Amino acid sequence: MISMLGLYRPRHTPLHHAPAWLKVLMLVAMAIVTVVASDPVTSVGLMCASVLLLISTEPPAKATAWAMLGTVLIAALSASLHLWRGDWARAIDVAADLIGIVALALAVTCSTSMAAMLDFVSTLARPIRFILPPETLGLMFALMLRALPEVARLYLESRMAARARGLERSVRAVVFPTTTRSVGFALQLGQALHARGIAEEARGSRKADKAEARGESRAARKATKRRRGKGAPAVADHELTKAEAFAVLGGGPSSAAAAGSSAGPSAARAGATATASPTAPELEDRPATRDDSPTQR
Amino acid sequence: MIEFKDAAVVAPDSGVPILEPTSLTLTERHISIIGANGGGKSTLVRMINGLVPPASGSVEVEGLDVAKQGPRVRRMVGFLFTDPSAQLIMPTAIEDVMLSLRRTIDKKDERAEAALAALEEIGLGDRADVSVNALSGGQRQLLALAGVLAVTPRILVADEPTTLLDLRWRAHVGSLLRSLPVQLIEVTHDLDSAVRAERTIVIDEGSVAFDGSPVEAVAYYRDLMFGRVKRRQAT
Repeated sequence: MISMLGLYRPRHTPLHHAPAWLKVLMLVAMAIVTVVASDPVTSVGLMCASVLLLISTEPPAKATAWAMLGTVLIAALSASLHLWRGDWARAIDVAADLIGIVALALAVTCSTSMAAMLDFVSTLARPIRFILPPETLGLMFALMLRALPEVARLYLESRMAARARGLERSVRAVVFPTTTRSVGFALQLGQALHARGIAEEARGSRKADKAEARGESRAARKATKRRRGKGAPAVADHELTKAEAFAVLGGGPSSAAAAGSSAGPSAARAGATATASPTAPELEDRPATRDDSPTQR
Repeated sequence: MIEFKDAAVVAPDSGVPILEPTSLTLTERHISIIGANGGGKSTLVRMINGLVPPASGSVEVEGLDVAKQGPRVRRMVGFLFTDPSAQLIMPTAIEDVMLSLRRTIDKKDERAEAALAALEEIGLGDRADVSVNALSGGQRQLLALAGVLAVTPRILVADEPTTLLDLRWRAHVGSLLRSLPVQLIEVTHDLDSAVRAERTIVIDEGSVAFDGSPVEAVAYYRDLMFGRVKRRQAT
């Protein structure tokens, strides 16, 4: 299951170019047909089509082979049960259905990026947007998928640690650290989401961001007005001018040294106020943009 | 400019002070913060973008009160955590950077282009479609950095960004951070990195123990720590 999460590879196959909704619809339709139709010929036909579709997406060979091998084993077990009862038609039907659905699900996974799937989930959730914002739902979906390999890693580490302490038979020695570390990971993830400003913004605020980014001053002003009405301050009120930006970023070493000499160990214990005045700016005469980031390989 | 005005933090349940009332004005381009584990370094920097709210006093970033205008402050302040695994949400590198850009770029194609550009800037262009689980620790930290820088913050707070990295990645990530055109507030145990800052603050037992020139601060910190070790050994 966990290895399935990284199956997507960008390719130029027909299924990669198909929209996510169409692929999911196809998967749902296939599931319904397999439940309704109990004809082995139809099932085998659908299975072949699904496997061909999976191959057409050029999936990563090893992970796909392992996933299919597991499915084939389960299908064989189910089929043998029906064969034992003497119902060979049902045996073929069940095995073909199972392999077909898993193959198609893999084909969808291999050809759909997480971003496309998130967009689809967000679109799907639009009717309930007043209860649950679509973006939040999409994010929940992504977080769930992200947490799976991490919890598995924590479990394996806890098991190894228990083994190292000679506690390989103790369930508690594995379950407790896995649980507490999972909670710790969830807290860290929450903090990271908070720090990245993801999913915390109101819709109006988001619109204002986009407007600002596009330089559409009118739209930005409108959105700002709306936010102002809700009690938040205007964007322009706090936007730094170029000169202010240099003042912020331009404190030189000399100022730091001056501050250092004034705030020595003796003065500092009581939480001393250390204010360094910015001196000669070291930055070049333009505000910081991402284009300024260095290219290092 | 970041301004702490008598900002203090206490443990929510017990009321035990984690950070004594602290007043600081941070204007330098690169400031390093050093100190013993549990001293309050991370608590101090987490107040900058509102991850930890002050129990008393206030923190202002570019004149904005963090407690009142958290979302606006967080758009200006990027935060880099010690463990990049907790910062990466999406399954592949490019998708994770695209997630950061969802707020500002509507069209998916444009978002993908911008994300790829951000990855290329940081040297991860060829790893764009690789699963985040398949990246090395250093590459994950770079990816986390790309996700932060993609939204062009003015201030970058890095909480021990190189602690989990080997020497090679430590040097690479460290030099990359120092070369960024943003105000960098770096919490670190790497004293070599700390002395390269313009100002160093030593935090010890929840308060500012030293604030000034990096060389003097590191010397002070060494004396403080080794003195403590000697006293413990003597008893």
